[in-house]
Amino acid sequence: MAEKRDIRRGPGIRTVEINAARQVHARTVRARIPIDIGAIDSQEPATSTAISAPRFVQPALPQSSRQPSAAHSHVRHTCNNPRNPPCAHCGTMIVPSPVATLPLEDHPSLTINNWTISTKKKPILNSQELEDWENNKLKGLTLPEMIFGNSFVRIQEKTRNWSIEFNALDALREVKLKDSGIRVSYSKKWMDSKQQKQRQQQRLSIALGSSQPLSDIDDSALQIARHYDWTYTTKYKGTETSGSKKYKFKKDDSQTLPIDKLARPDHILFYDDMILFEDELADNGISIFNIKIRVMNERLLLLSRFFLRVDDVLIRVVDTRIVVEFDENKVIREYKEMEGDYKTLLTKHKMSHSHDPKAALRDSNWVAANIPLITRECEILNLNDPN
Amino acid sequence: MELDECLELLYKGQLLPEVTVRALCFKLKEMLVRESNVVHIQTPVTVVGDIHGQFHDMLEIFLIGGPVPDTNYLFLGDYVDRGLYSVETIMLLVVLKLRYPNRIHLLRGNHESRQITQSYGFYTECSNKYGEGSKVWQYVTDIFDYLVLCCIIDNEIFCVHGGLSPNVQTIDQIKIIDRFREIPHDGAMADLVWSDPEEIDTSSIGHRENFYHESSQQFQISPRGAGYTFGRCVVEKFLHFNQMDRIYRAHQLCNDGYQVYFDGLVTTVWSAPNYCYRCGNKASILELYSKNEFYFNVFEEAPENRLLNDNFNSSITNGSAINEYFDDANNTGSTETSISDVDIFSDAYQVKSASSRRVEYFL
Repeated sequence: MAEKRDIRRGPGIRTVEINAARQVHARTVRARIPIDIGAIDSQEPATSTAISAPRFVQPALPQSSRQPSAAHSHVRHTCNNPRNPPCAHCGTMIVPSPVATLPLEDHPSLTINNWTISTKKKPILNSQELEDWENNKLKGLTLPEMIFGNSFVRIQEKTRNWSIEFNALDALREVKLKDSGIRVSYSKKWMDSKQQKQRQQQRLSIALGSSQPLSDIDDSALQIARHYDWTYTTKYKGTETSGSKKYKFKKDDSQTLPIDKLARPDHILFYDDMILFEDELADNGISIFNIKIRVMNERLLLLSRFFLRVDDVLIRVVDTRIVVEFDENKVIREYKEMEGDYKTLLTKHKMSHSHDPKAALRDSNWVAANIPLITRECEILNLNDPN
Repeated sequence: MELDECLELLYKGQLLPEVTVRALCFKLKEMLVRESNVVHIQTPVTVVGDIHGQFHDMLEIFLIGGPVPDTNYLFLGDYVDRGLYSVETIMLLVVLKLRYPNRIHLLRGNHESRQITQSYGFYTECSNKYGEGSKVWQYVTDIFDYLVLCCIIDNEIFCVHGGLSPNVQTIDQIKIIDRFREIPHDGAMADLVWSDPEEIDTSSIGHRENFYHESSQQFQISPRGAGYTFGRCVVEKFLHFNQMDRIYRAHQLCNDGYQVYFDGLVTTVWSAPNYCYRCGNKASILELYSKNEFYFNVFEEAPENRLLNDNFNSSITNGSAINEYFDDANNTGSTETSISDVDIFSDAYQVKSASSRRVEYFL
């Protein structure tokens, strides 16, 4: 026992670790430099880490996206973070790149014309921040287990001072502070057995002529602590800020997203995804809110998804998609609520996969494609012609 | 296979053959069936909270806290699910328990259950690693039924996975629970592994008398419709009645590795750093030197985990990615070096992980 504490991790950081962190940072940056197959060696990226980039093919990109020149002849995006490696196609492509800190921090940003897209990823809130949120910012809500409260995705239009952002605090502000009406699958059985036990004990204590309750299960123990929507269902569609009142979304459900254009494998200039909050519902399922964004030369697509699974009870998906057409300065926002019965969905999946039947219920993409649509709304904002 | 041989393989992160797993589980059952629901141990001991299949972080714990059997360990449960290495984690603990029964104690957590492991990864991991026809999951979940529920250190520190139960006023009431079964939804056994402390801002309540009548200080039902939260009053009563000093428990993620409730009457110990490979939280182990001398040894994620993140994101519990990783490790030989010799800073590794990074054409 005497010498066991020589590997203590105190507040200090050992030099070896700093060095290792520097190296891993440099290599991460280098490894992220995209390589154009046709142009290897011809364009040596001018990074500060002046070692030539390792050669590899990004497998996720379909071949069709690798058509050079034409699509890139009019390059108009700029990278706002000097740490992002330059693009092999045009010298300015961006792939999120970390800052050399412990732990690594990503704060990439990209500008196309008058549009700037930036994201930030940080660890979950620490206990001081949590206390502040619990007692002030979100009073009355028992907070979810994991809150990435310092992360965000932001889309800004600079000339008109309009922006939309997605963050955890605003998402959680939309969680209702009243009974959701949803109970875990075994709740009724659980409550019934409590009441039964309570009645038994009351009879027993009367029979014994005792005025003291025999256990802690008295009336107060059968009360629900405090009501809030423990599923953390949020209808959050993003936080808008605008310099002028005229830049507001207009509801128009006849609008649709340009799926054909989005389905094209246009080169992705910027991609990021992040979780904003997550809770495991005391192992009764999952409640998770995450954001994905991809930016192409002509447009961007953002998907914000709330996914809820209460085991043996229900499944719910709330999707918000935002498309920005850079040339038209047009923003389309589509909002969808979907909800389905757990058992129906499980049966649906079992028919195709007998082994590990619950696997698909963890996959929000499969679920979203297979449960009934409850609501769909669409809004549009044309910044060139707001009226 | 000899226990020491098993240990050597397990420390390297290798899987044991299914027949060996079966024999080990059977042996452990024989050992555990003789233990009481409540085990009494003495300091010095190091208390460890949730691990959740984060095998490399568990090895890190043995580095930081000292190896078994030089250090005594008490694990508070939740060894499996969520992480990528539940099988490796639980089997290492099983063999350590068999090899050094008095040096290591394993409590049951709510994830040591057939039902929960089917939803949260351990079941899937077993069939990925051993094949769909294998019975490893059955063998391991069978031993879960034999794990003990509580532990008392130096006669005055009460340790449990979750918390207190309205059905348990005395320690003796825990001793008479029939624990050799799946964790039920209801009753004392369920509450011990499930319940959570709830601390309410008491400054507004004022007088002590009012404080005891405040329902938030008692047992309350979660808005989920099952399960309890317990307040300060419940804790004080339990400790006083059983002549205990304080409670250590696990079960809830805390970002700083531990969380103190009710001025230290209850403390949560959490031992899974960067939980689920994405939370960025710290973890801790609690080193108890004597009744009143202790130290929360806070640590961060093991470097090996960082490598796995990218693979993890693209394919949860992907057997081949894991085997590939361990194949690399195995080629380098002995236990200690096998992990440190994988050069995570090498270009080869970085290229591999960067190329598995995906941009996704989502719609």
